[in-house]
Amino acid sequence: MGTLNVKLFDLAMILYGVASLCYIVFLYAKKEGVGKVATLVTGASALSATAAFIARWVESYKLGIGRIPVTNLYESLVFFAWVVVIFYLLFEWRYKSRTFGAFVLPIAFFTMLFASTTESSITPLVPALQSYWLHIHVITCFIGYAAFAVSCGIAVMYLLKEKQEARGESKGIVGLFPSTRVLDDIVYRAVIIGFPFLTAGIITGAAWANYAWGTYWSWDPKETWSLIVWLIYAAFLHARITRGWRGRKTAILSIVGFLATIFCYLGVNLVLSGLHSYGGS
Amino acid sequence: MSKKSSESFFEKVWKFFASLRLAIPVLIILAVASIFGTIIEQNKPLEHYRRFYSESTIKILSKLGLFDMYHSWWFLLLLVLFAINLTCCTVDRLPNVFKVVRNPKRTLDEGMERSLSLVHRWRKKGKVEELREKFASALSQAFAKPVETYNSDVLHLYAERGAFSRFGVYITHVSILIVLVGAIIGNIWGFKGYVNIVEGDQISRVQTRGSKGIVDLGFAVRCNDFRIEYYPNGTPKEYISDLSVIEGGKEVLRKTIEVNDPLRYKGIWFYQSSYGTAGATNITVDVRKKEDGSLIKRLTLLPNQKVKVEGVGTISAVDFDPNLQGFGPALRVRVEGESGQPLSFWIFKNFPDFDKRRGQPFYLVFSGIDEIYYTGLQVAKDPGVNIVWVGCVFMVLGILVAFFGSHRRVWLKLVPQEGGRVEVVLAGAANRNRLAFEKTFQRLKEELSKV
Repeated sequence: MGTLNVKLFDLAMILYGVASLCYIVFLYAKKEGVGKVATLVTGASALSATAAFIARWVESYKLGIGRIPVTNLYESLVFFAWVVVIFYLLFEWRYKSRTFGAFVLPIAFFTMLFASTTESSITPLVPALQSYWLHIHVITCFIGYAAFAVSCGIAVMYLLKEKQEARGESKGIVGLFPSTRVLDDIVYRAVIIGFPFLTAGIITGAAWANYAWGTYWSWDPKETWSLIVWLIYAAFLHARITRGWRGRKTAILSIVGFLATIFCYLGVNLVLSGLHSYGGS
Repeated sequence: MSKKSSESFFEKVWKFFASLRLAIPVLIILAVASIFGTIIEQNKPLEHYRRFYSESTIKILSKLGLFDMYHSWWFLLLLVLFAINLTCCTVDRLPNVFKVVRNPKRTLDEGMERSLSLVHRWRKKGKVEELREKFASALSQAFAKPVETYNSDVLHLYAERGAFSRFGVYITHVSILIVLVGAIIGNIWGFKGYVNIVEGDQISRVQTRGSKGIVDLGFAVRCNDFRIEYYPNGTPKEYISDLSVIEGGKEVLRKTIEVNDPLRYKGIWFYQSSYGTAGATNITVDVRKKEDGSLIKRLTLLPNQKVKVEGVGTISAVDFDPNLQGFGPALRVRVEGESGQPLSFWIFKNFPDFDKRRGQPFYLVFSGIDEIYYTGLQVAKDPGVNIVWVGCVFMVLGILVAFFGSHRRVWLKLVPQEGGRVEVVLAGAANRNRLAFEKTFQRLKEELSKV
């Protein structure tokens, strides 16, 4: 028995899954109708998630906690998935191609699937988290992460397409993809949206740390991994204007960047702190 | 060695340090190196490492500075290399950018015309002088106000937008250097320390981390009171310290601080960080009858003090927990009955009936404690922090300008032809987001061909 917001998020999850399937079927069947259904389902899923956020916000006020729902693992995951879908819809509309869907929507779906295994109840915040910086920090970071997710999905498409273009063919599913030039451009555009948000996310995190603990940077694993992610995308941005790096290597950097992003968010908590807490007394 | 060859050597070194080819490896090496410090725990006592690593491994890791990696000579060297790369790149290219921005190429020569991809030409009746005004005003309306240059009888109109965006990259680079400068200033002239103050006491010295030892604040801080507030479910809501700043024997400032709401005085910040109990006085325990809950006796106990109650036995308070397993303040009492084994158990302030379950004719109620807490404060002075924030603001602005700004340039050339005609050449270029500029150029083409 979940509350309304969780039910709406579950609905969004199912719709992300259905949309992912539709986009994959669309790639194989190459039927415009299937693609339209996929877009409609994605739109509905975005609406459902939006409604879920509003419901959760209202519910938190009813519980006397009252805060933007971006304060714990569950909330940050569903927020991430929601932003990925919004970005996806913007890119589909901007580039008039539905082929990206099969590579981006599953990211949102699996994120939600993972979120559904975590604690979804609204709980009060411990003193360290009671700060306006928390909200702005989480929101900026996750918009950045979502943009990187989109970039990564399209970088995978780039690598597939590049292989085919090298053979001078254009057939099958990959044949439907936009040209490598366009894919490279989208990989880049998604990163330049994500990068300022990640930068702002790291800065707001530092500002918050300074206000809560008196030190804006202490090289703890979380901070350091966010810096690692930042450095990888900084390398990506410089690689893109360097001959010999552009294209294949930047696409790989985008994928590596997103893997580092995932590790920064989940790995640091699950693996590193796990290592520490089990290893410690 | 001749002067010329030494110059070219320095030039080579300079070009290397200013190059993009250095930037990418430096960024990637910094990223990879940073990973080690997240896998190996940093700045732990030696005993801690002994649990994970053998002595010989510890020796190697310690030699490589991996236990305090982010302050090791080689990591700092990497950061220095990073800073040199940023500085050289900026110094190398910024003059050129100034030149392009302040003194742009206002005429469209043939070589340039060939190099640009967006060029459109058409013919028009009339004289250059007659058409000048019309094209100038049309260009101002559709794009930006042009600058006019006559080159013999050929008229060049040049208009641009977003020239400033060329500085975005350098604003970002310089902002990173500003952040690094702020960090260095903080490391040299600042300190970070920690202090415990027992309620009612005051301190004027702080033990700092690092090499600065004990720092004299130049004033004293007194903790008047410390308390914890709880949510209805028993989890802590807020840790609160009531602090006074005392200078020259007088209270000059008083503030209640919480986590996320520190005290600041003379550039030194005090952050709520931890707390603990420094002992208790006057614990109040009620002994009540089980039948009707009426009071048999109210006891005022000191820690571990034994008090005898007729018909019950000897009672003493042996332990206290301000929040036992999330159930709030709890007292461990020891009861030595007149017969049988001594018993010790917890009673809870928030659950006065808890002890009824023991099934004795009487039960104990924990009704109050005058406990002495100490508050644990992080103390920090960082004269570089505002410089860091300035750098951060410029970093975000610089990135936005660099990625979302675009220097768009448009040239319009009017070349007089024979037979009272003029050849019109329209050309355009943008340094970023060329797709969007192509649309702008199409629109301009339509607007200007109407002239």
